[in-house]
Amino acid sequence: MPAPEFVLPSIRGGPLGLAELRTSGPVVLVFVAEECPTCTLAIRRLAPLTAALREAGVALVAVFEDPPEVAARVARSLGFSATALAEPAPYDVSRAYGLETLPTIVLIDGAGEEVDRRVGWDAAGLEELLMRAGTSAIDVTREVPAVKPGCAAKCTYDVATLALLDGEADELEDMFARGWTDGLPVVPPTPQRVAAMLGGRDPALVLGEVPPAMGQATLERVAACAVLAGCRPAYFPVVQAAVEAGLDPAFNLNGQAVTTQPAGQLVVVNGPIRHVLGLNSGMGALGPGTRANLTIGRALRLVITLTGGAAPGRLDRATLGHPGKLGFCIAEAEEDSPWEPLHVERGFARDRSVVTVIACDSPLSISDHRSTGVEELASILGWAAAATWSPNWWPLGATSVYVICPEHRALFEAAGWSKSRLGDAMFNAVRRPARELRHGETTPFVLAADPDTMVTKWTSPDEIVLLAAGGEAGRYSALLGPCLGMESAVVSREVVESP
Amino acid sequence: MDYVSPFDEHRRAALPLAPRGLALEGATVVLLDINKRRGDEFLDRIEARLHEHGARTLREVKGIFSKPAQPELIRRIANRGDLTVEGLAD
Repeated sequence: MPAPEFVLPSIRGGPLGLAELRTSGPVVLVFVAEECPTCTLAIRRLAPLTAALREAGVALVAVFEDPPEVAARVARSLGFSATALAEPAPYDVSRAYGLETLPTIVLIDGAGEEVDRRVGWDAAGLEELLMRAGTSAIDVTREVPAVKPGCAAKCTYDVATLALLDGEADELEDMFARGWTDGLPVVPPTPQRVAAMLGGRDPALVLGEVPPAMGQATLERVAACAVLAGCRPAYFPVVQAAVEAGLDPAFNLNGQAVTTQPAGQLVVVNGPIRHVLGLNSGMGALGPGTRANLTIGRALRLVITLTGGAAPGRLDRATLGHPGKLGFCIAEAEEDSPWEPLHVERGFARDRSVVTVIACDSPLSISDHRSTGVEELASILGWAAAATWSPNWWPLGATSVYVICPEHRALFEAAGWSKSRLGDAMFNAVRRPARELRHGETTPFVLAADPDTMVTKWTSPDEIVLLAAGGEAGRYSALLGPCLGMESAVVSREVVESP
Repeated sequence: MDYVSPFDEHRRAALPLAPRGLALEGATVVLLDINKRRGDEFLDRIEARLHEHGARTLREVKGIFSKPAQPELIRRIANRGDLTVEGLAD
């Protein structure tokens, strides 16, 4: 009986048809679907036979009754490296093959004739089928269960059941099932939402490869992550700039993404776009409450964890991590501050909107309600860093970010201190003799120094980044600890608002 | 339901592993120090053991552990050694 011809999308891209598949010999079609446990078993057990079948001139082809992205995900997760095709609804190919049950394994010879067919998982039967394909000595595992009935093929389902399977019953649970999440509920990235997020920008534009798995960051995938994160389309230019900054090799996202350190990526937003998007630089700026802050930071993290493959517990090897790794975005309170904002310090015009990314640890709150002099307060703020990274690791050799609250800023403003003056004072205040630092985790610098040498906590004042933010009441500033061993530069990118 | 995937679903072609079962006697082993603390001490011990088994050793050091090795370093290791031992982590 002639096997029905078909052309279906391959998970590796492009269409692939039976005519092309059988040009070099017999074809073993394995019809499967994501939801069928017997299919999972079949794919898992067929995967190791791929190379032997290829050598025998037999093409092993999985046909998923699923959309391409689902087929690709399932094939990847089951280690199936042979050809995989996707057949989303309405399952015309499955119907043409008269499928009732999955898995169904169909042998087609080089002339296009169906010569054998097995339904469900039947190890002995499959071995017979493979023998008929002209192979020899291909052992199909007899591991229990050697025989297992399958599930109904999706082409036999009624419309209501298909809708349930397609996630219409609970889209949010579907996102968890796909692994498209950071552990919190996400907004499903429908084509309509992603198109709105792109706002006419080129979806195929490539921003770079995202480490550690080097997934290509097309603008469409970045937009999908922004949708998942809960961004409004208006936020997208900031997300794009944050991703561009994060992918600058000088930032070394590769090292941060996989390290056992609790390395997060702080996104600092400066310039007029803060007001347009309603970014919070005031009360609770490092905490919950503001959609723009929380979702922009989260979008960058989702690009890293999903597109870049740095899923926590897999390629992200952080021993503990920190809550900022869900998303870490702050705006600077430029109007309420006597200081030059970060982007101006870094050479941008004040009226430009700029995103800056900094690798850093979680915030440490610094309470000081008693200091009355600027030298005293600078010393308190500086000494808060003494135990960061590790108590005896001096100098840090990496960036420390301070978020200075309004009441603390007011003291420095009254004294006419600039950011650099404060940074210098903090740098000079924090010193200890090398002899006190020579135990536990310490630096080669300390070990080589004369015991009486006074060692500073930072290599230079340039390692101290000062930001203005926070609510008007309460003398609490914050210190974001460093990310070490990465040679990670602070990187800024201007926000381009029009497509 | 149709969604836009955030993943790069493009599958990269798997490269075949180099043949296994190489005898150490007379082999050239590259010892790669990724520049983490005490990695050199670990590789010193491995080097001594390899010499006992008649292997020749070469030492290479990455610029920094947290960044991918430079292509030139990878080429040098591939061209000069039969196998590589990497001192990973501290």
